[in-house]
Amino acid sequence: METYRITLEWNDGRTESIKSEPDETVIEAAERAGVALPFGCLTGACATCTARLLDGRIEHRREPRALKPRHREDGYVLACVAEPRSDCRLRVGSDVHGELVSNPWR
Amino acid sequence: MSDADNPATDAHEHHHHHHEGPGYVTPQAAIEESEPEEVAYVIGLYVGTDVDAPDFLGVVDVDPDSSTYGEVIDRVEMPNRGDELHHFGWNACSSSCHVEGLERQHLIVPGQRSSRLHVVDTKDRRNPELVKVIEPEEVFEHDLSAPHTVHCIPDGKILISMLGDRDGELPGGFLELNDDFEVEGRWDAPGEIEMNYDYWYQPRHNVMISTEWAAPKTYYPGFDLEDVEAGKYGRKLHVWDWENRTVEQTIDLGEEGMIPLEVRFLHSPVSTHGFVGAALSSNVFHFHREDGGEWRADKVIDVEPREHDGWDMPVPGLVTDLLVSMDDRYLFFSNWLHGDVRMYDVSDPANPRLADRIWAGGHFGPRHPIEGERAVHGGPQMLQLSLDGERLYWTTSLYSTWDEQFYPEEGEEGSVMLKADVNPRKGTMELDRDFLVDFGDMPAGPARAHEIRWPDGDCTSDVWL
Ligand code: FES
Repeated sequence: METYRITLEWNDGRTESIKSEPDETVIEAAERAGVALPFGCLTGACATCTARLLDGRIEHRREPRALKPRHREDGYVLACVAEPRSDCRLRVGSDVHGELVSNPWR
Repeated sequence: MSDADNPATDAHEHHHHHHEGPGYVTPQAAIEESEPEEVAYVIGLYVGTDVDAPDFLGVVDVDPDSSTYGEVIDRVEMPNRGDELHHFGWNACSSSCHVEGLERQHLIVPGQRSSRLHVVDTKDRRNPELVKVIEPEEVFEHDLSAPHTVHCIPDGKILISMLGDRDGELPGGFLELNDDFEVEGRWDAPGEIEMNYDYWYQPRHNVMISTEWAAPKTYYPGFDLEDVEAGKYGRKLHVWDWENRTVEQTIDLGEEGMIPLEVRFLHSPVSTHGFVGAALSSNVFHFHREDGGEWRADKVIDVEPREHDGWDMPVPGLVTDLLVSMDDRYLFFSNWLHGDVRMYDVSDPANPRLADRIWAGGHFGPRHPIEGERAVHGGPQMLQLSLDGERLYWTTSLYSTWDEQFYPEEGEEGSVMLKADVNPRKGTMELDRDFLVDFGDMPAGPARAHEIRWPDGDCTSDVWL
């Protein structure tokens, strides 16, 4: 397996570029690079780490249980269990998981 | 007075009321013997935000004579980010008052999302200290995750309700710790319940009642009506044989009892009455044991949904927390989406009578309940009452992902902690306009604030044998 370049983009325009080691998740690569991304369970259950894949390929190390089929079809991934399989571009930050569910009564 | 108050006290000098060990001998003793609270322990959290800091246990000065009244005077930072500290509890409560050598000194502080368990030593009340961490892997070994309610149980042990299996799916169960804060194992046999949330036990009646939220993977990401329609949220009460650790009866609360969360027995150990709030249906149920030995639950308070400009659907109240005063006379609950906290006279528990209410924040209360003070986002949520029943405190955050859906400003500006002065004789409450703890003003950035605990005893956790 190879190392890949991961480009992280926040909604406010900030970007960071980090490198992943083989078998590393996006969260692990970011932690190693000292870049803070939101996370919670680290097991694919909570969606706190939700990111949107803009470019490239990832594979989930474990089933991304917090994502519904509609979210997966929309390109959402869980950074805590997502391993890059190519250079990637991801939209990240705490507001991304907020897109998964909205206020149902509004 | 607990031994923790005075570490120098020899246990043998402690024979008044034949009382050894922590806590108060009776609820009435807690009312009479307790001193007014001076510090409150309050959860502060950053999980799910872009603030790069771990969650913390805040120490809030609640002594009106202190120069730092209403301020967060100390913070115990957790070693990791991503925990979502949520509910927490003491290592010993009044059910342990016969246990020699035990002190009410350690707080067990679980991470709801991480499944990590922290142990905080409060020997120095104003400067507590993290002394032990149980890592998630050790919890997952027992096929459990998502710790919620912490109760001390007899013999110095600690029981924690767990909402999921190791993968964040159903079923949940209970994890037991020993008095050295080591994981003993699973308390219940798997298969007794599918879903779990809060629980309370009444040892004199050999009973425990547990409630239901949903699988962690269902509620963690946020509230989705699709999941409600798919039947993924709970609506049942489970009545346990406390000694045998088996479910003896399950009560389906039906459509009016969707998502039963906090469950509180009356404090009197002889009582079989209690209350549970159904969050989504915005109802309060009264339960008790009938003469024949069966338990039953009836809806006794109904919060009507309200029309709101700009919302397509009427706004349900969402009864998210409730508590019973130590004298078992009043029930307080938070109406999180509407924005009020209510006080009911429950002298006749089957027929609660609204005594008073306060509006503060929420979708219908004033944005600035205290003139000249910062805005309040979110509605009244976690409650705590002084042991004498004269001061009610609350925070405004429910759960980070759910806050984001209903009160997005709270993540940006942080929570507040507010307080009401209660007159139990008249059955009235009044907002204390000199008290607002601003969790938006923390060094690392605005924090959410959740559960509140007292050093000497809690209306929401102490159980009597
Ligand atoms: S951190 Fe929970 S799903 Fe990634």
